[in-house]
Amino acid sequence: MATGAADHAAVASEPNHGRRFLALWIGASIVATPLVAIFLGPALPPGNGSAQGKEQVFDNQWMLTIVTPVFLFVVILLGYVVVAFRSRTPELVDGPPVRGNARIQLLWLVITPVVVLFLAGFGSYELVQSGAGGGQGPTPAFQPAGYQQALDVQVIGQQWEFTYRFPTYGGVETPHLVLPANTLVRLHVTSLDAIHSFWAYQLGVKADANPGVDNVVYVQTKKPMAFDIHCAELCGLWHGYMFDTGHVVPSSQFAGWIKQQQSYFAPVTKLLPKYATTYLPEPSRRAG
Amino acid sequence: MSALAVETSPPVWRRLIGFNLLTAILLGIGGWYLGWFCAHQITGASLDYFGDIDQNDLAVFMGYFVGVLGFLVGLGFGVYPWARLRGYPPSLREKETEGIGRYFGLCTDHKVVGIQYLVGIGVFFFVGGLNAMLIRTELLSPTSHVFPANNYLTLVGMHGTMMMGMFTSGILGPFANYFVPLMIGARRMAFPRIESLTFWLLMAAGTILTTTLAFGGFPTGWTGYQPLNDQANAGMDAYIAFFALVGISMCLLGLNMIATIVTMRAPGLTWSRLPIFCWGVLSTAILMLLAAPVLVAVLLMSMLDRTAQTSFFIPAAGGSQYLYENLFWVFGHPEVYILALPGFAIVLELLPVFSRKPLWGYRLAVAGLLGVTLLSWLVWQHHLFVSGINADLRPFYMLSTELISIPTGFTFICGLMTMWRGNLRFTVPMLFCLAWFFNFLIGGLSGVFLSDVPSDVTTHGSFFSMAHFHYTIMGALIFTFFAAIYYWVPKMTGFELNERLGKIHFWLMFVAFNSTFGPLFAVGFLGQPRRVVSYPHNLIFLNRWVSISAFVLGFSLLIFLANFVWSLVFARVPAPQNPWGSRSLEWQLPSPVPVHNFDRIPHITSDPYDYGEPAPGPVAVPAPSPAGGMR
Amino acid sequence: MTELVQEATAYDVVEGEPPELLGRNLNSGAHLFASATAFFFLAFVFAYFYLRAQNNAGLWKPKKVDPSVAWGTVVMALAVASALLVRLGLQRHRAGRREEWRRVGVLALVVGFAAAVLQVVEWTTLHFGPTDGGYASVFYGWTAFQLLFTLGTLLWLENVVATSWRYRKVASGSPGPGEASGDPHRTGHDVADPLSLVRPGLEAVSFYWGFVAALGVLLWVVLYLA
Repeated sequence: MATGAADHAAVASEPNHGRRFLALWIGASIVATPLVAIFLGPALPPGNGSAQGKEQVFDNQWMLTIVTPVFLFVVILLGYVVVAFRSRTPELVDGPPVRGNARIQLLWLVITPVVVLFLAGFGSYELVQSGAGGGQGPTPAFQPAGYQQALDVQVIGQQWEFTYRFPTYGGVETPHLVLPANTLVRLHVTSLDAIHSFWAYQLGVKADANPGVDNVVYVQTKKPMAFDIHCAELCGLWHGYMFDTGHVVPSSQFAGWIKQQQSYFAPVTKLLPKYATTYLPEPSRRAG
Repeated sequence: MSALAVETSPPVWRRLIGFNLLTAILLGIGGWYLGWFCAHQITGASLDYFGDIDQNDLAVFMGYFVGVLGFLVGLGFGVYPWARLRGYPPSLREKETEGIGRYFGLCTDHKVVGIQYLVGIGVFFFVGGLNAMLIRTELLSPTSHVFPANNYLTLVGMHGTMMMGMFTSGILGPFANYFVPLMIGARRMAFPRIESLTFWLLMAAGTILTTTLAFGGFPTGWTGYQPLNDQANAGMDAYIAFFALVGISMCLLGLNMIATIVTMRAPGLTWSRLPIFCWGVLSTAILMLLAAPVLVAVLLMSMLDRTAQTSFFIPAAGGSQYLYENLFWVFGHPEVYILALPGFAIVLELLPVFSRKPLWGYRLAVAGLLGVTLLSWLVWQHHLFVSGINADLRPFYMLSTELISIPTGFTFICGLMTMWRGNLRFTVPMLFCLAWFFNFLIGGLSGVFLSDVPSDVTTHGSFFSMAHFHYTIMGALIFTFFAAIYYWVPKMTGFELNERLGKIHFWLMFVAFNSTFGPLFAVGFLGQPRRVVSYPHNLIFLNRWVSISAFVLGFSLLIFLANFVWSLVFARVPAPQNPWGSRSLEWQLPSPVPVHNFDRIPHITSDPYDYGEPAPGPVAVPAPSPAGGMR
Repeated sequence: MTELVQEATAYDVVEGEPPELLGRNLNSGAHLFASATAFFFLAFVFAYFYLRAQNNAGLWKPKKVDPSVAWGTVVMALAVASALLVRLGLQRHRAGRREEWRRVGVLALVVGFAAAVLQVVEWTTLHFGPTDGGYASVFYGWTAFQLLFTLGTLLWLENVVATSWRYRKVASGSPGPGEASGDPHRTGHDVADPLSLVRPGLEAVSFYWGFVAALGVLLWVVLYLA
């Protein structure tokens, strides 16, 4: 690598460090990168619980694969330098006065932007498919196919629990989240007080719950399963205890469950404000 | 340091009267009560009402600001404005005497300010570190708690705020104040009084933040998000006052640094000969100067919301919490590069010395620093990928965020190629620089996951992002901070630091650091959100592992403290003038550096990296006598 | 690796600073501080447009929130007039007519202070308070900090005028050692001629006051006209 200007200082018998390093790096990358991609990649979160989650795993897997040779490049170069160029004399001996190398700089200037642009393009492509499970604000730009038929579920964050309203089922509000399997769900995340963040881990969903904002996120459920719900934005005293378990169940079971919820919460539903995308409580300055 | 023993000096009690820290503390406390009292007259609240303590935010704010004013007047900052008000001309230097007293007041000697910063920030660093230890103690178990939930949140908030606030000046405060004038051949900073002001503002701010405990703490973490901020009790006021003062201090520090580097360079020190450390300081200072005012503005808006009952951030009253998030991160993202850039600069400055080779790719390195400075303004919404703000713009912010890795890569390649074919000496500062490569590499590569929206959906707000920024801040900034301490303290104090203890400190800290924050990536991937007091049971093992590693990390810092105190107070082995064989200008001065640095302003003849050249000339010669003669 | 700076400390006389350094520092300091000021007020401009666009709860600007354009115009015009007067004074100073500069400087101070006082008076005449929605918040916040910066700049201007006034009968000359600094350890002045400070100070404050006045014009356009 560092040939050219440094040549005059190199001792004739010295090995070609640049070639040695390249061989080490390429060898290690060829071995390690597929191993990482094949074994570690599929184990990455959030798992296969939804189409969005699957996308994210795929994304994580790709990035880990690209990142591996970069990591190896720096670590092997660092290790090589430390071993090969350590000072062997007690007194100070200056190295060759190399102040740069146009070829390496140019190569670096070409390769790093290529990698970066690829990563950004890849991520953007994944994002525009269906929003990748992230909150998209009130007017989502990245909608999955068939979004018109999606099931609307409102997620309301409040200190310190999430509740859920089903506008297509008479606006019933329940403290439990149950979703039908193999269904495209449109979650409307909003809050009544501080900022919360609705995180359904296995579904690959995260969206901030803001007062006065309808934060839309799409998720395509798959097989029946249980999933963890956390609040992922510091929201005050009991933020650490703001977690729950949600369920994806077969459609028939969901129909039964929602009917039961409707009848159970009927007295409450009457008293609730009419379903809206957001609810603005009175400005309470000392609610905490 | 021996001035106390001088026979002609007046007795100690007499010398305690005057503008010094003692007066300042007394006036600060008095000012606090004055502000508190006046605000109660304004709001009409009764002073006797005990429950009032968490109701009257105006009283707390006025207490803080009048208290800070009193503190500053007590230190002697009132003398100059009073003189100027009456038309007397300014003097450039104050209290530039020998003796230990100058460390406890307003002193315009940049070397005194540098040491003040090192000790002052060090104290608050240990306070912040203690908070971290307590946090990890709480997280040993998800179910049995050491602290009540509100105290835990206060600890989390204080740790984050203290570190982010104090350590923005962690390198620029001690090391740039001390060494930039020496490196550029100047006798002083451009605005010496402002230089001292930045330090004392920071100390006042740190004290204010600790007083949050008296008002019930604050629940928001270091970001202070609205509307939680607006709900919180009076402890929140301490956070706002702290960060506003830190913002003012940062802004003035940046202003002073830029003005110094632009106007005070010695003759012959062209931009292409400027040491890379000064370039790093310059780019950091630009970010400080421009980003900090936005922080001050957003905090003052919060203050108005809490006192004058405006509604900047209350959606039900015409405000928007998104406004806070946007403005905070417009400051907040440059802020994290304010933390990272000085680290880059120190690594690039130290590697040539310990590799005995010139800095490889000087222009590329400068381009890297300036490129990060520019790009850091264009990325702030990557903190808000799932918040619902401008979701359509996410591809742009993804691109701009990942573009930052290009100029950051310049630093890596320049550093690594500087060592290529060098003669590496593994001194303690060099070890810390090498660790920077490893830590910042992991920090940077994990940042790629966070910058990618689909990945960020999982990692955002989880321990993954927490591990990421500890790798970039603690792994990069704190490690280079220690590199700078081991490298420069011999020049600052004239005494050597013990190398054996230094190496023990390094290895323990490096291993414990990686053992602490490495597993946190897994914890985050497995679904533990940040700032929680409880967590799922399947994460108990990892959390305990991390806690125990964190205690070892804390212990390694105690080794450092022991080394520092032992070497400088008890062993006192005089350091040679230039122990590392550096060609940089500051090492050509005697240790400790004389009060006026240079008797004659030197004329710079080359950059400080002429290692290995066949016949290197002197880096500087004294300038010829000026035409006007001596004064 | 011995002495790379030849005889750097071999002189026992400390060489003075180049006299133009102070002016250069002040000049760059004023420009840098102006850029910081710009970013400070940028936050308020951003808040204005952001809250206006969001109009949360329909409370951006309720009907009664309607400040008087006349008041705003008067405050803005007085600040601009004061800044222009300082600029005029600088021209007089450059032309060597110091007597005239001092009079213009005092006038600029009075006009600028009038702007500050009238701003406070304006607040008392308004029919809305800071609690009345988004616009009211931005209005009170922005005008308050504009006032604060105005007062700070006027203080700086006063310093320059005061120095010029105090030494009006002296062509040049040094005040006694330690005077003005409050530091008994000082034995001499770094600044031999106090009057030499007036010009750099005046140039810097003229620039900065012009900048703050321009921000006042921006405030007027955004808050009163838009």
